[in-house]
Amino acid sequence: MEDAQIVNSLVRRCIAGDAVAWEEIVQRYNRRIYNICYRFSGSADDAQDLTQDVFIKMYRTLSSYDIERGAFMTWVTTMTRNLLVDHFRKTKQDRLTDSMDATASEHEDSMLLREQIPDKGPAPDTKVQSRETGQVVHEALQKLSPELREAVILRDLQDMDYRDIAAVLRVPEGTVKSRINRGRAELARLLQRIYRQVM
Amino acid sequence: MPGETHNGMQCSEFEALLFDALDNQLTGAKQERFRAHARACPKCGPMFAEAEAGQHWLKSLAEVEPPANLVNDILAATSGIPSYRLHEIAARPHQPSFGERIREWADSLLTPVWSTVRQPRFAMSFGMAFFSLSVALSVAGVKPGDIKQADLSRTGLRRTYYTTQARVVKYYENIRLVVEIESKVQEIRKVTRPARTNEERERERNHKNNTSGEPEPRQERNYSRDENQPALASVPQEAPAVSVTTIRRLV
Repeated sequence: MEDAQIVNSLVRRCIAGDAVAWEEIVQRYNRRIYNICYRFSGSADDAQDLTQDVFIKMYRTLSSYDIERGAFMTWVTTMTRNLLVDHFRKTKQDRLTDSMDATASEHEDSMLLREQIPDKGPAPDTKVQSRETGQVVHEALQKLSPELREAVILRDLQDMDYRDIAAVLRVPEGTVKSRINRGRAELARLLQRIYRQVM
Repeated sequence: MPGETHNGMQCSEFEALLFDALDNQLTGAKQERFRAHARACPKCGPMFAEAEAGQHWLKSLAEVEPPANLVNDILAATSGIPSYRLHEIAARPHQPSFGERIREWADSLLTPVWSTVRQPRFAMSFGMAFFSLSVALSVAGVKPGDIKQADLSRTGLRRTYYTTQARVVKYYENIRLVVEIESKVQEIRKVTRPARTNEERERERNHKNNTSGEPEPRQERNYSRDENQPALASVPQEAPAVSVTTIRRLV
């Protein structure tokens, strides 16, 4: 049985009141949803609360899921993204939402990346890895605007294809690609700046 | 920029191929032209380098492990059933049902018997037994085709009940008809018998009053010889010829 068929069967059983099927759904998707929430919100506590909220909403609205209209994964991701956007709006005052374009100096912007990153010596990622690369990248990701952040998270962290991302974000595929490109570039510039400060 | 051409590729074409290049979808000559354009174009080269670096950084992020209690919290907040209870149900050792226990018991008994029975030396015995059974069944009129599974459904039981009831009623009606016919025949026989004479009635009365216990035919025979018996008693008054001859010889 294919994965989609298994998921659809689980959904049907869950709607019929099967608690074991619901736990199976939670076990299948909690890791993915938690990672999206964590990478978007930047906080483990917020991610835990948001993940729980996603599943509560999913549990209440599972009967509205139409198998014919799209994959369950896309439906779940859309729900997660909508809750993240709501959460972002509520906590807007407490967050630093400026993108790198707003904070980076014109001088840095005018410089080419290959001029900013010297080719000699070890690669910058190797150096940053020595001081907890993952945490640095994670913090840099929080500096991106939410539109760019969600786009790169779905593409580079969740490996979703462009069409599914466009469905989740409800924007054209070209816009998705543009956001992904801009998000990657901003992240690279931000990390380049961190790298130069460390050096 | 879109109009500029480097190494046989315009910047617009480079942009169009940018995502294919980052997703490692470009191959062969197209990839070579793309790389050559990135090296030569002062705009497209840095753009590609930034996108590639950003993608590389993002891909370096490992998936984080959710908190251990997350699933339990979600289940408690939604279905209200903590996960460990479901796991307990799943991990509970399988309790064999009554049927399964019976089957196990039967297997433990039949397995050694079956292993003995399967030996070749018993083949002829079982063949003869089967033959005898077949003959006995055919003599008794039992046909294997007549044996069928009982229909225990509600409709089947109802049908069986009505069929049996109809058979019983039919049998009862047949018996009743036979008894009625017999009684009618007896009545007709009584009506058609001739009227008895007074003598017969008297004889019948005497017969009823007779308590001697002698058999009836002998009495009738004696009654018929009433007149002959005195004659027989007077016969010895005349001397028989045989008796004279016997006296002469003696003299």
